[in-house]
Amino acid sequence: MWKSLVYKEWLKVKWFVILFTAAGLLTVGYIFLRVQHDFTFNEAKNYWHLILFQKFQFFSSLRFVPVAGALAVAVAQYFPETVNKRIKLTFHLPLNENKVLLMMMFFGTICLLACYSLVVVLFLALSMLFFPSEIIWTALVSITPWFLAGLAVYYLVALIVLEPVWKYRFFYFVVAVAFVPLYFEPAVAGGYAPAIPLLFVLAVVLNIAILFSGYRFRKGEM
Amino acid sequence: MVRLSRYFLLIAGIVAFAVVLPELYWMAFAKPVKKPLVFYSCIENDFLIQRSDSGITRKDPRGKSYTREEYEQRLPLMYVRQLLMSNTMPDSIYGIEVDNHAITVNRSTFRVQPKELSIPDPGLYPLFESQSGRANLVMPDDFFRITWRMEFVDAKTNKTLEEKSQMFSAVLYKRGFKFPAKSISGLPTTRKSCDEGYLVIDAEDQLFHVKMAKGEPYVKKAELPSGTKFKHINCVDFRNTKFYAYLFSTDNHIYILTQDDYELIELPVGEMDPEKHEIRIFGDLFHYQVSVVGDDFIRTVVLDTDYKKVDEYNESWPGIMERREGKIFKTIFPGQISMTSPDSSLIRFYTEINKPFLWLVFSAVLMVAQLFIFKQREIALKNQVVDLCVIGVTGIFGFLAVNIFQNKFFD
Repeated sequence: MWKSLVYKEWLKVKWFVILFTAAGLLTVGYIFLRVQHDFTFNEAKNYWHLILFQKFQFFSSLRFVPVAGALAVAVAQYFPETVNKRIKLTFHLPLNENKVLLMMMFFGTICLLACYSLVVVLFLALSMLFFPSEIIWTALVSITPWFLAGLAVYYLVALIVLEPVWKYRFFYFVVAVAFVPLYFEPAVAGGYAPAIPLLFVLAVVLNIAILFSGYRFRKGEM
Repeated sequence: MVRLSRYFLLIAGIVAFAVVLPELYWMAFAKPVKKPLVFYSCIENDFLIQRSDSGITRKDPRGKSYTREEYEQRLPLMYVRQLLMSNTMPDSIYGIEVDNHAITVNRSTFRVQPKELSIPDPGLYPLFESQSGRANLVMPDDFFRITWRMEFVDAKTNKTLEEKSQMFSAVLYKRGFKFPAKSISGLPTTRKSCDEGYLVIDAEDQLFHVKMAKGEPYVKKAELPSGTKFKHINCVDFRNTKFYAYLFSTDNHIYILTQDDYELIELPVGEMDPEKHEIRIFGDLFHYQVSVVGDDFIRTVVLDTDYKKVDEYNESWPGIMERREGKIFKTIFPGQISMTSPDSSLIRFYTEINKPFLWLVFSAVLMVAQLFIFKQREIALKNQVVDLCVIGVTGIFGFLAVNIFQNKFFD
């Protein structure tokens, strides 16, 4: 039965995951196409100088890509469950309801992490062609919060979509709007390093947020 | 597990509100603190203070007011162009004939803010050719790092330049440099009058001057008084080429390193911490004026050109937290979390808890309000003790979070 449930989740999100991965990879491709172009027209040494001393962030196009992907996957995965309250069917299966919700969340997380990994690996591989370790490291530190924001958005959207009462959906949305910008403060490259551990913890602990909405749903909160 | 998920949501909500609500509060109610401008007059041999709180006023420390013209005439080295234009420039100052060229050459401005120092280290620097024989500096094709050796990386190929790296590393090693470098300070730009390379602190806190002259390494060790360690070095490019840099020691004293003879001179200005407060140093033909400026104070020390103390000025004013909006803030909010800081370029959870604990009174009021909410919903109090404690400790932030992520089903 678990296999069938996983398959059902995959059917819901597969095109979104595939399209998002393609969009992510294309964005990375675009970033390095521009880098290559600027190397040709502006000379590598000047481009390095721009990055090292003039706060130029060559990777800034990646900023909202992880969040966009998370939003798409979360909506694709959880919105169909709210149409005619289909999630009730899942809750009627002879399975622990919390475990089912956690499986859904875990599946979505794995999908997102797989996409993110592909994007980051390509980003790193292409970075190594053009830049030294110092620039790559600060770029990695700078993009990490954006990917953590992706995970946080995925969990918060799941919480909001599954919440049965519109009033509380709005309140959760307000919390999400206040919370997610913590990952998007304007910062110099590498400036986010001290905040990443706590931002990581905050993103990770939100992974079971879905249980809260699920619980309210099951108890018939209207 | 469900209960745990709610507590995690409470934490996320409290953190988010502790960031956003104070930010909105200050956006709505903060008023700018207009700090006075303090300059030392070489005519009056006294300080002149310009304020812009309610209209611009210019006074000396005893309260005597000056018009703009009088003020400018008493600061001839600051308003050179204006005084020349209005033909009011004095012929001589301190018995020395006023020479425009000398004024310009000896004028220097230096300003450093905590935010500029607390910044990720780039790790790679361009080493310019300092004796190219050309008027303009040229950006080199490679950048260097000093880790286990001094390594040059070519930007075009992203490959290490082995020969150059070995040459510079060997010279550094022979001069007693202990790898890796703790800090590398210089002016990594072509927009300067000449290149003087970098001042590098090695692994044993020794200070070295490293530059490239005709393609060869130039490495000189500066002798430091025992126990002197520097946390920040700011190289300068002043026209009188008296010194290479302002150096800030770990015990918050300011030094200069003179050019060519590498003499380290401590400026007798007392403790000034560039990591906490803005430091301004204005130099002219007769004086150096060293100021430390905080949110609620300014201290200015005037030195002569032999770096001897001449005079000092102190002034403080109510900080933002001592003003009405600050007091209300301290009553409403238990504190504030901010991801950014005016004193740092690094992003972290800057957390401040308001003292005195007046906000606890407001938290108690919120707890009573919450009790009424529980009563209205006919919820048993014994299951809500944790929520009440959360409100008690986190005030308005917890109150909002508890009511958004309600404990409706756990009673």
